[in-house]
Amino acid sequence: MSYTLTTLWHDRQRYLPGILAVAFSALLIALQCGLLFGLLSISTIPIDRSEADVWIGPQKVLSVDTGQPISESKLVSRVAGIPGVTHVEPYIQRFSFWEKPGGGTDLCIIVGCRLTDDSIGPSKVLPQELRDRLTEEGSVVVDESELERLDIQHAPALLAQGRFASAKINGRPVRVVGLVKGMRSIAGPYIFCSLFTARSIMKLGPDQTVYVLAKCEDPAMAPRVVEQLKSSPLQQEEPDMSVFTKDEFSHKSRMHWLLKTKGGLALGYAAALGLLVGLVVTSQTLYAATMASMREYAILLALGIPRWRLRWTVVTQAFWIGVFGVLLSIPATYLLGELATHLGVKPLLSAELMAAAALITLGMAMFSGVIALRSLKQIEPVNLLR
Amino acid sequence: MRDEPVLQGFHLTRSFGDGETRTYALRDVSLGLKKGELALLMGPSGSGKSTLLAVLSGLLEPDSGQVLARVDGDAVDLWKLTPRQREHFRLKHCGFIFQGYNLFPALTAEQQLEIVLRWGEGISGREARERSREMLSLLGLSKKCHLLPAQLSGGEKQRVAIGRALIKNPQFVFADEPTSALDWTHGEQVIELLRIAAHERGATILVVSHDHRIVPFVDTVFHLEDGRLQEAETPVDVPPPGVRFRLEMPP
Ligand SMILES: Nc1ncnc2c1ncn2[C@@H]1O[C@H](COP(=O)(O)OP(=O)(O)OP(=O)(O)O)[C@@H](O)[C@H]1O
Ligand SMILES: [Mg+2]
Repeated sequence: MSYTLTTLWHDRQRYLPGILAVAFSALLIALQCGLLFGLLSISTIPIDRSEADVWIGPQKVLSVDTGQPISESKLVSRVAGIPGVTHVEPYIQRFSFWEKPGGGTDLCIIVGCRLTDDSIGPSKVLPQELRDRLTEEGSVVVDESELERLDIQHAPALLAQGRFASAKINGRPVRVVGLVKGMRSIAGPYIFCSLFTARSIMKLGPDQTVYVLAKCEDPAMAPRVVEQLKSSPLQQEEPDMSVFTKDEFSHKSRMHWLLKTKGGLALGYAAALGLLVGLVVTSQTLYAATMASMREYAILLALGIPRWRLRWTVVTQAFWIGVFGVLLSIPATYLLGELATHLGVKPLLSAELMAAAALITLGMAMFSGVIALRSLKQIEPVNLLR
Repeated sequence: MRDEPVLQGFHLTRSFGDGETRTYALRDVSLGLKKGELALLMGPSGSGKSTLLAVLSGLLEPDSGQVLARVDGDAVDLWKLTPRQREHFRLKHCGFIFQGYNLFPALTAEQQLEIVLRWGEGISGREARERSREMLSLLGLSKKCHLLPAQLSGGEKQRVAIGRALIKNPQFVFADEPTSALDWTHGEQVIELLRIAAHERGATILVVSHDHRIVPFVDTVFHLEDGRLQEAETPVDVPPPGVRFRLEMPP
């Protein structure tokens, strides 16, 4: 081992490409996945920021953005009757069409929830003042970074004068009564409004909702409540209904976005490509380094030192190249993560993700060592005797 | 017992290629080397010297013929062993010096020797270090233990290579052109060291060289010409009946 480290240090020039390739791979994986997870976490902000423990929605619910309307009155009282459930309320979230003041439409996501203080929907992402303003029909709040997409760049100036920018959603006029920060979404801008406004925009009856949210005495009870709901007569009466805990639903929604969007695929593809580049460069580096020491290795083989010893040496070199590459990648990842955050996309670089990226690239480095072993096959001591 | 050969080749033949392009590197070569003997193998380029060295040292299989080595009172038929047994035989009994120095550029002089003991026989780092230093000081390199090959002169590098060949205290040492990269002063030093190894340690050493200036230093000279041995010091016969061929293998 110490021979390996000595050799790596002495011939650092030669091994550097391998180390950089590993660092590049680790960086790419961590950053790509971090960005992806960051984006995915945005897609479930309404779920994650709500206080509901159980989500009930129509059967074909794939993610929080694709729910179809269900009947509210039937559900709310039945769900409220389940032991352990302390609070039940309707919640509306669905795609709609934002009609830009200057012409053209764009997809947006209506987030309609109860605005009272005891609401368990995601209304708490809005300050009290904005929630008060939303009680008026046709009032909406959007994220300040979405103004351009919504073609209402003049909204802040108007707000400063106490006036509101106006636009239409699904043909209904709306007024932008306030702006929030950090509520940017992937698919379309979130449009926060009251349940009343949401129903009116989506032309839903007063009894229709997309989701029913329930809060339990203790979040730990959520799985049991879900089980009870699933086995209750309600489920037979309403086969269209599906029930999730908050965590399940958040996870399911993220997975939906991960699997169903080309974006997720593209990011995964880029990460895989990074890994492949790392593999090729590292194994080539090791191959060349081994061939450069061919005569020395041949002497050792002639002296009767078993071949596995030399194989072990190459794999150990691969291991250390991996370790150094990964170590190099960690500060680089955080640095570039910072940069990305400044540019407006915040990667989610969890310790688990960093560890996973490190392990994967270390595995890749070792594998590249195994690939480079073919160089040893070519070393025959007798070929050096001429 | 000093006169009994410890390394013998019988009717060794080796050719390369097929049909038209077939060339014979060795044609029916028989020879014997005694314990503590420093032998020189000479001959024109392409006469088969390196081939003979490789066959005798268990690195290249002959087409026909036999190589017998006597170690620890047993006779071993080298080319009847399995490859693993042969590898183990070389590990136990053979040292090599190839053309050029073939030293790891990243390792110090003593590490070049240590690695052989540690990787070959699993000797502990500490003992390997002590033995390596001892060997290097015998070779007059006690002050150069910590230097890298790039910091050593050609002669010093070749002495390190000799140290690597001798560190296991092998019964047989095979050297192909050990002096070709050196001027005569250093070449003479190298031969002198090999002579000491043969005469004082009792190693059997076969040196391949073009250099006639070496002749006065050696005990025996073999001449190869077009794959045939021209003269041998002692006539060699087929192995006597009743010789046991075996080698103690590691568990
Ligand atoms: N692997 C091989 N394939 C084909 N021919 C070979 C091979 N090895 C050796 N030969 C041939 O065998 C003959 C003897 O080669 P060898 O290397 O033993 O010569 P040598 O006496 O060591 O020569 P030199 O003094 O130049 O090193 C040469 O004609 C060579 O071309
Ligand atoms: Mg030769």
